[in-house]
Amino acid sequence: MKIALVSVSLAFALACSTTEPRARVTGTVPDRASFPPVAELLVHRCGTLDCHGATFRDLRIYGSLGLRLSPSDRPVSKGQTTREEYDEDFASVVGLEPEILSAVVASGGANPERLTLIRKARGTEHHKGGSLWQTGDAQDRCVTSWLAGKTDVADCIDATDASF
Amino acid sequence: MRLRNLAFVCATALMCDPVNGAAIAALGDEAPGVPRGPLHRPGQPCVLCHDGSVGNPPEFTVAGTVFVNANDLTPAVDAGVMLTDSLGVSFPATTNEVGNFYVLPHQFQPTYPMKVAVTYANVTVSMTADVGRDGSCARCHLDPAASASPGHVYVPADGGTP
Repeated sequence: MKIALVSVSLAFALACSTTEPRARVTGTVPDRASFPPVAELLVHRCGTLDCHGATFRDLRIYGSLGLRLSPSDRPVSKGQTTREEYDEDFASVVGLEPEILSAVVASGGANPERLTLIRKARGTEHHKGGSLWQTGDAQDRCVTSWLAGKTDVADCIDATDASF
Repeated sequence: MRLRNLAFVCATALMCDPVNGAAIAALGDEAPGVPRGPLHRPGQPCVLCHDGSVGNPPEFTVAGTVFVNANDLTPAVDAGVMLTDSLGVSFPATTNEVGNFYVLPHQFQPTYPMKVAVTYANVTVSMTADVGRDGSCARCHLDPAASASPGHVYVPADGGTP
């Protein structure tokens, strides 16, 4: 009986332990200024309303083809993603795995597959939306070049305009 | 006996997805005088129920409703719905008298993402965005139009974006 009580108490104690609510991660993030072309790719490939264009997603993508930030804006207004939506998308992407992202950025974008975002897009980790692109193609280069601090805008534009 | 009990518990657990259950309940009852079948629940997210789960109605891989106008629910009868998946495989569906169409698994199982084009009254409109993973048109195309929904599917007479 005593063992049972101790076990229950322990279980409750573990269940109620939380992280320090004011804890913050500081690290290096990719460049915000060169993010819009990357965001447009993410809006196109990830941000449809039935995928990451939804408020219940950890990776939440706002943009002209899907979820809109302003209540007065409507989806499917190609090319009209707002600056505020880019800000939200940036915050969402850099907030997913901040420590790993910081390490990837600090190493000049080396081994970007350390990030779940990259693994899922490449399909090397289970992803409900399947494999979105292949390692080294224009879409992949768009995101990984941004992580490396030298965003290839031409790749991003090509990748966004291309059909799947 | 134990095996039978275990099987019952497993089957019950599979049928009781609380998220789906709440979403289905929110759709409300059947419209009076409309029996379950191809003509029921136009404009609702079909695959929510028709998902092939235990105890559910026939599975649909893709299904939805096409309307004529943005501002009312006049059905687009005999509209053509062309579905093309990421492997380039296409499947043509046609809407019935209430604007509904549905696709069965043996007919077409898309590899997402998927493109959709709708033709009605000699006007063809292609969706600007791709379908990412959900076979129900109304999963995204809900009324009223809002920041998270373009509103119900319709075919603008001028061929603009639906």
